[in-house]
Amino acid sequence: MIKLSNFTFYYNGAEKPALQDVSLEIQDGEFVLITGPSGGGKSTLCRCLNGLIPHFFGGKLRGQVTVQGLDITNHAPKELATRVGMVFQDPENQLVAKEVEREIAFGLENLGFSRSLMAKRIEESLEALGIAHLRRRTVSELSGGEKQKVVIASVLALHPEVLVLDEPTSELDPRSAEEVLSVLERLNGELGLTIILVEHRLDRIVQYADRLIVIDQGRVMADGGVRNVLNTHFTELTEIGIGIPSIVKLAHELKKKGFAMDSIPLTVKEARRFLGEAPHKIGIKRIEGKESECGGNPVIQTRKLWHVYHEGPAALRDVDLKINEGEFVAVIGRNGSGKTTLVKHFNGLLKPTSGTVTVYGVDTTSVTVAELAHRVGFVFQNPNDHLFSDTVAEEIAFTLKIRREDRAIINTKLDAVMERFNLKKYQKEYPRFLSGGEKQRIAMASVLVAEPDILVLDEPTRGMDYNLKSELMDYLREYVRMGKTVILVTHDVETVAEYADRVILLSEGQIVVDGDKHEVLSGALMFSPQINRLAQTWVGSGAPSDILTVSELLKILE
Amino acid sequence: MIELRYKNRETGFHELNVFAKLVWLVSIFVLALVFSHPLYLLLLFWAILPSVAVAKVWREWLTSMRFAAYLALAIVVINVLVSHHGSHILYQAPINLPVVGTPVITLEAIAFGFGMALRLLVLISAFSIINLTVHPDDMMLAMTKINLPYKSVMVTSLSSRFIPTLMEDIERIRDVQRARGLELDKGALAQRVKHYSAVIIPLLSNSLDRAVQVAEAMESRAFGTGIRRTFYKEMKISQLDILTIVSGFLLLMLGILMRYYGYGGYRYYPTLEAINPDGLELALLALLVLLISGLALWALVKKGLEID
Repeated sequence: MIKLSNFTFYYNGAEKPALQDVSLEIQDGEFVLITGPSGGGKSTLCRCLNGLIPHFFGGKLRGQVTVQGLDITNHAPKELATRVGMVFQDPENQLVAKEVEREIAFGLENLGFSRSLMAKRIEESLEALGIAHLRRRTVSELSGGEKQKVVIASVLALHPEVLVLDEPTSELDPRSAEEVLSVLERLNGELGLTIILVEHRLDRIVQYADRLIVIDQGRVMADGGVRNVLNTHFTELTEIGIGIPSIVKLAHELKKKGFAMDSIPLTVKEARRFLGEAPHKIGIKRIEGKESECGGNPVIQTRKLWHVYHEGPAALRDVDLKINEGEFVAVIGRNGSGKTTLVKHFNGLLKPTSGTVTVYGVDTTSVTVAELAHRVGFVFQNPNDHLFSDTVAEEIAFTLKIRREDRAIINTKLDAVMERFNLKKYQKEYPRFLSGGEKQRIAMASVLVAEPDILVLDEPTRGMDYNLKSELMDYLREYVRMGKTVILVTHDVETVAEYADRVILLSEGQIVVDGDKHEVLSGALMFSPQINRLAQTWVGSGAPSDILTVSELLKILE
Repeated sequence: MIELRYKNRETGFHELNVFAKLVWLVSIFVLALVFSHPLYLLLLFWAILPSVAVAKVWREWLTSMRFAAYLALAIVVINVLVSHHGSHILYQAPINLPVVGTPVITLEAIAFGFGMALRLLVLISAFSIINLTVHPDDMMLAMTKINLPYKSVMVTSLSSRFIPTLMEDIERIRDVQRARGLELDKGALAQRVKHYSAVIIPLLSNSLDRAVQVAEAMESRAFGTGIRRTFYKEMKISQLDILTIVSGFLLLMLGILMRYYGYGGYRYYPTLEAINPDGLELALLALLVLLISGLALWALVKKGLEID
């Protein structure tokens, strides 16, 4: 059992507590899901559970945390390792050996286990994660999902009673994420391991968890059964920006309209059961005539584009593509399908192996990346890769300075963009010391200050909490309305369904489908949003099969 | 990108005992340094080649040799320009410079440069084979076996573990800054230094963040408990391995003895010495070559034994 009683923690030098007066009890065998906005104290809570706080990260604390009866102030993480296993966000930063078996052995070696016991534990862990075939592989050659499974196996080998995972899937693509999550479900179900999981994306995990704890501003905001919390705290959760699964949102909206249901559905399967009557009771209205497509001038065009990385297999095969002015295009596809390779051709970071890419009619092989940067802005996933200046203002102005723009123009543009992104009050601060969301805004601002006509974003929402994500996506919509073109590479189908216009699906370096999001995302097994999967079952009752979002569905139900 | 990292090709050479390979490497290093005779150095170089073949690392080996060749060329050129000793003057500049005097190119200086370059090629060649065929974790284990402190060995091993990650980081951050319109290789030196800081600062800060996270993860897996650490992989030493190690030492001793009795030296200046080895010397040299290429032979035997 884990018990926190009136626990308060201040990091060294912090004025506000990271956790405040937290009291919790977690029983053995529970599957607990912890969520909440970024910077709310979730990670701090995790780090208390194995003594990283206060032994690794010092600070001031009040109250008590006990793990299986042991007080964390008296027991360091290395002593608690056999009781509490910790898995962090980025598998890359948790792997220390070069070979999978030795990686799993690492903890056991530290504890001085005998060779025969180690062999047994390693075997068990490989088996439990279903990765026995990886045992002799070199760690650096594994995929992200495989790496994270190796991390979990290496933690599991120590036979902890509790497994704490701090956003273990945020660096993974949805497929690997799902695999990792189903492993957790099995460990909880079959081995009775207590699982404490921190996650932003609730939609793929709610069905496994017994209990949901919401942490905001260092306090427990809600705690209870998943269904119960999502039901009774719906409004507060929406307000603080929790990414509530769209099925739950739909159920809530229907309830408001007076539709009675036994209980709130958490998954598409449950929704079919609980809401199955909805189309009959409320009646489906047909809506005709969708928004007209925007058909501006083509701004990017590829012809027979091939790309091959140093003698490897072709990453792009014969891609013919036209992107028009004012379009909001989402590029989706599995990992390694060539999404990033494709968009890196749009600003010249990559040049075609054969075929041509033209941007505003100019062949990208005839100009430099810097010249293309005047028209094509590119935002990468991790804002930390952008930031190097001493102050926020300098960071943003740098993009203009290297273009040798006039001092006065720089100042006007800088002012406008800082105003837009709410960065004015931070302009003299050191960018890397700010929070994740602020850093993301600075990185965006540093690209947008140059007012590019085309904006390319490579998985910008990975690991973002819901608030930050909707803020970014709203901004992108606004940018498109200004007549600019936005190209978004993402795995997040729900976001695409909500915000994009056109979707390009890549597979094995080829365009599989390209068209309006309603065509591409409906009835596609792997790439349909939850609401579409539900709507598919109502097609018989007269519902259109290309419904993608809650608001679209509500429109036809009214 | 250049692949100079370990890859298990599952050859007998890869499976040879780490100590056997290290003894071999050390012997070749010592021999390459004590012998100055170009014939000896040339034989050392040739005798290493069978190991490259058995380990199937031709491509990677060639990459590092290409790099070594540039260095070697530089040595020759520099020596020719700087050293004015030697009796066979091939070219004498018609000018008289202050400090250096009249530039002269001599046959002896060229020969000496080639001799040194050959020595360098031997060293790099031997080193790269070992680097390409020893698993870094095995290397770490070997280091702790000879009683180097575990924590220092672990740190070294960790830093090599993160080299590929660091390379990816550099690549990515370069892309990020280039996409902002930064031209890294343009402008005056001061400008370029400023521009490169746009890559280096994020790289360093990210690495610091990474270091904290790695430490956290290691601590959570009971690193530094103070309990006497055990090792999952034991280093098995078979009789064949012992034989290999012994033959490595024999090589070392033979080389040193030969040098002690006056073989393998060579006089470049003031006039190149004649090369006329006697019968005994030739026989000893043959033995030397056999012992060096013996490692490849042992590797073949090892694989052969395992198949049986």
